[in-house]
Amino acid sequence: MDASSRASTRSLLPLGIATWVSVAVALALIFFYAREADLSMGGQLQRIFYFHVPSAWVAYLSFGIVFLASIAYLRTANRRWDLVAEAAAEIGVLFTTLVLITGPIWARPVWGTWWQWDARLTSALVMWLTYVGYLFLRGLALDPARAGKPAAVLGVAGFVNVPIVHFSVQWWRTLHPSGPTPADLARDSGLGGPELTAFFASLVAFTLLFALLLSLRVRLGRAREALEVRELQREQLRNRAIPTSVTT
Amino acid sequence: MTSAELGFIAKTAALARKDLRIEMRARETLPPMLAFAFAVTVVLSFTLPGAPELHAPRELPPVGTVALADVVAGFLWITVLFAGLIGFARTFEAERDDDAIESLLLAPIDRSGLWLAKAIANLVFIVAIELFLVPAFALLFGFRVLDDIGTLVGVVLLVDLGFVATGTLFSALAAQTRSRELMLPILALPALVPVFLGAVELSSDLFVGRGLAGDGSAGWLAILGVYDVAAIAVSVMAFEYALD
Repeated sequence: MDASSRASTRSLLPLGIATWVSVAVALALIFFYAREADLSMGGQLQRIFYFHVPSAWVAYLSFGIVFLASIAYLRTANRRWDLVAEAAAEIGVLFTTLVLITGPIWARPVWGTWWQWDARLTSALVMWLTYVGYLFLRGLALDPARAGKPAAVLGVAGFVNVPIVHFSVQWWRTLHPSGPTPADLARDSGLGGPELTAFFASLVAFTLLFALLLSLRVRLGRAREALEVRELQREQLRNRAIPTSVTT
Repeated sequence: MTSAELGFIAKTAALARKDLRIEMRARETLPPMLAFAFAVTVVLSFTLPGAPELHAPRELPPVGTVALADVVAGFLWITVLFAGLIGFARTFEAERDDDAIESLLLAPIDRSGLWLAKAIANLVFIVAIELFLVPAFALLFGFRVLDDIGTLVGVVLLVDLGFVATGTLFSALAAQTRSRELMLPILALPALVPVFLGAVELSSDLFVGRGLAGDGSAGWLAILGVYDVAAIAVSVMAFEYALD
């Protein structure tokens, strides 16, 4: 381990500590401070909301970063942006998966069905499929070193759906709860002070966790690239060695 | 029109003509698409009820049943989608086989013209497929296609624009992977969900002679229109980077 990589390991320590402290605080608030919800919202099961909504937020954030990093990569051709986009896409798929798992667990007893093909659920599933396709596009590239450009095109085009997922509950009539909107802040969200405190604590915890995962994943991508460069260099040295040994 | 615009149109047309001429001579894309569409239609005609059952008068259908016309319209568009994607996956096949991607990229034209030329060729293919599939489904399942043929053609073209725009852009991305025939549906099908839903909703009403008077029709037409504009805009802007 050289000096630079040691330094970057150390730099993540504060973020790591902050993440785990905030996760612990959020868990305590979610399970011991927030009050049990009305039975029509699922009673105790409603607490899954504190994981479902922040997961969706992290998914939006991830795909937003994929979008911006893709544009930056197409404009500058700087490898760093490609690594950021790849890392964010993986994290976004992970958290969208969590959204798609936690939602039906809550919906089954409350709606009486695991799944409903309404605009929110359908567009969220399409978002998941889009970015799973993005990961396949990278994984199956003919030339991995040049996978960045086509992936970036998809990272830009695929983002068109993300606002649709978010605003679907306002644009169409859906079974999915919509919550207050910027246009209608007065709408009762059904959450009191303790619940909102727990919710925002959970949002902070998930956001910090996202920042930590993204930093780790980008570093992993960089390490893998450095390893490939070293292997290439070693191979070149070996190839150069063979003709000389033949001549002697 | 300025001479630059005329040059763009002429060069795009030349590139599209090149692809269509290759197809006329080699016949490597359209015949397999048609054969696939025909095979699927044959299999479907065994599994789905025929025209008499589809149109048998029913008293109030029990809750929870679906109109068979909607189901059959869904099968029609699924067949169009799959046949189309099989063909679109070959969009850059000629250039790939002959290592001619670089030569294509050197064409003295904006990359959006390259996309447009490929999209025109793909539009010709998909219209040919539909000219076979829609009458075939009309005969097999008693669809009424002649009642309001103008509206039907309009809806089909609205669907085709979005389908071809998306399929052509994504075929360029899929062409750079190891299994492009598999990759294109994985990328394109999720993106085509709005197109597919609009196509089924609008055409099933037309096929049973209801016209576009239904509640949701205007909404679906708007969704298709917005999708087409967005898909074309994104393709024109992004295609410059899609091929490398």
